[in-house]
Order: sequence, then C-alpha cells, then structure tokens
Amino acid sequence: MTMNRIIETDSQEAFIKEIEKVQDVLPKRIDANPKNVEKGLAKLVLTLVELIRKLLEKQAMRRIEGGSLSDEEIERVGETLMKLENKMQELKEIFGLKDEELNLNLGPLGDLM
Amino acid sequence: MKIYAYGIIDSNSGMDEPLRELGEASVYNIPYRDIAVTVSELNDEAKEITDTYILEHERIVERLMEGFTVLPMRFLTVFNTKKDLLSMAEFYYEDFKDNLVRLRNKVEFGIKIIWPQDTIKQRIINAWNKSNHSLSIPADSKAKSFLKEKFKQQQIEKEFQEEANRCIAVVDDYFNKIACEKKLKRLQTENLLLNSSYLLEKQRQNDFKQAFEQLKSAPGDLKFLFSGPWPCYNFVTLTKKPSAVDYFNTEDMLNRLLAQQGLPERNAV
Repeated sequence: MTMNRIIETDSQEAFIKEIEKVQDVLPKRIDANPKNVEKGLAKLVLTLVELIRKLLEKQAMRRIEGGSLSDEEIERVGETLMKLENKMQELKEIFGLKDEELNLNLGPLGDLM
Repeated sequence: MKIYAYGIIDSNSGMDEPLRELGEASVYNIPYRDIAVTVSELNDEAKEITDTYILEHERIVERLMEGFTVLPMRFLTVFNTKKDLLSMAEFYYEDFKDNLVRLRNKVEFGIKIIWPQDTIKQRIINAWNKSNHSLSIPADSKAKSFLKEKFKQQQIEKEFQEEANRCIAVVDDYFNKIACEKKLKRLQTENLLLNSSYLLEKQRQNDFKQAFEQLKSAPGDLKFLFSGPWPCYNFVTLTKKPSAVDYFNTEDMLNRLLAQQGLPERNAV
C-alpha cells in the first residue's frame, strides 16, 4: 500500500497556533535543570493548589445555593476564597506562570483541569 | 553502539530491500520469536538527534507499513544494547501480538477542529445576563460580590463545556460508524474544540474522507484540519506496565509531524 497522505485545512495559521499552545502547555518531561528547578517545582505545587482552590469554590457555591450556610459563614467563605485567589495571583506573578500553564497531563485520563 | 528502534512488525524475516536512515545507517530487523523490531545502529551522538529526523522516522514506518503490520515506536526510542531491546521484546511479547492482530489492515486519521470560542462564550454570557439565575445572596459586601461573580463564572464555564460536548457529539456522529476505534481529546485549548484520532480499516478510507466532506459542508463556524492516513500511532495499547520507560506514548507524534511539515496549503496532497 502506498500512503497517499492528505493534510487539508483552510486555516493553516490558526491550527499551527493552537498546536503550539498544546505543546507548550504540556511538556512531556519536567525540565529540572538547576536554573529553573524552582519554577518547575512551583508550577507543580501551584497546579495542585489551584485544583484544590477550584474544588473549594465549587463546594462553597453548592452549599450556598443549597442554603446550608448562614450569612456570617457566607461572608467568611467569600473572604477566604477571595484572599486565596489573590495569593495565587501573586505567586503566579512571582514565578512567571500563566493560568494555562497550571495543568498536568494525566496521559490517557486527559488533563487534570 | 546504540540501537534506534522504529517499530515492531509482524514478521521475523529480514528486510525485503535495504533502507538507510539516521546518519546513513542501514535499517534492519532484530527478530524475536515470530515478530521483529526494526532498528538502525546509532553512534554515540544520540543526543544530537533532533526533531529534524522526525520525518525520516515517519518515512521508515510508512515503508514498513507497505509490507507489514507495524506498531510504530515513539520517536527517539534508543536502546543501549541489543540485549536491552530483546528484553523489552520479551516483556511485551503478548501485548505486541495482540496489538498486531488488532491493528492489521488499519490506519489512523486525524480530525482537528477549531471553534469560535469568543463568540460562543459571549452568546452564553448574554443569555446569562438575560436570565435571573444569579446566586441568591445580597451583594452587600466585597466578599459576597466576589462569590456572586464566581458563581456566574462557574455557570458560564459549565454551559461552555456542555456546548462543547454537544458540538463534539455532532461531529463524532459523522465518523463513529466508519471507525473501529477513536481517541477524542476535547478542548485542549479553548479554541481547539476537538483533537481526534480515528482508527479504521484501510478499505474504508474513502468513506471517512466523504464523511469529512459532508461535515465540512454543514452550516457552522468551524475550522477543520483533516490528516491521514497515518501509522497507528495513537492506538497501540499495552496492558503490561513498563518499569520506567514508555516506548509507545506517541500521542504528540502527529502534532510534531504536522509542525515539521508546516501544515501544507489547503487541499495539498
């Protein structure tokens, strides 16, 4: 059989851009050289913190919607989540990380977030 | 001398014709029982092998496909010794046999789709703003306003994801009945709605292409990238777990090939 390969698109540049984004966001190996080991570790830790933060947010919304929190508790939850988000923002800036970089490829299971 | 591996084939015979690759080294088979690993020898400068060789790797795999069923190995799979390679073959032998039977006379096609995520998100936001489905708490403090805004963001994101699922289901319907197996990756970026690989019988290639043409002509604001036939990079599945090395995790292979080939112009063949 001869492989009559076809690659067909009418949006070449748009696909190149998206493919590059996918490759940039999900490196196959942790780049653990001495110069950027700190950033690599920060990325890993912040990804996990971000996952937990999002889960907390979702859980908080469910409970507020379900009416199981008092007004005072809602106020406290809101303040905590707000501070947590601000702190995450600061840490991302310190380590030069973008939102889309905070993810992990779980192989056949897809991405963490 | 290290050994560079291209793939596993369903024959333990020698090559029909000599092939030369990767620094002009000849390509040959190392047999193990009734299968073989196709390899070439590599000088110790393995580190110098870069993505520029990816097309050559692909070419060898394609040549092998002309005569055999092939399990393509991950680009840059290198063994230190022949003994290491034979240990790998022994360890995975049953898996290799199963995959070689499953992938016989099959090829892989790729469909990537970009959707107008900005437009879709804006449509969802507009619908949200018209509805009264906000979080039922007063916005009488900064913390509560924050929660209301977060709730809105979550609901919009949820609707966005559901819209993506609906759209992917419609697309998948075009190919599902033609393909034997599929791998769908959804929303790898917000724009890249779908990055999919379909495995199909060789004789159904035209059906698949026709289905794509129908999809492309359907009304909508989607952008498409169709590619194939490819060796079955995304459909080699191993049940035995390797100790440390993943020889067949080739999920990024097609993207790298597409990047190397610079995504030829529309309708290029």
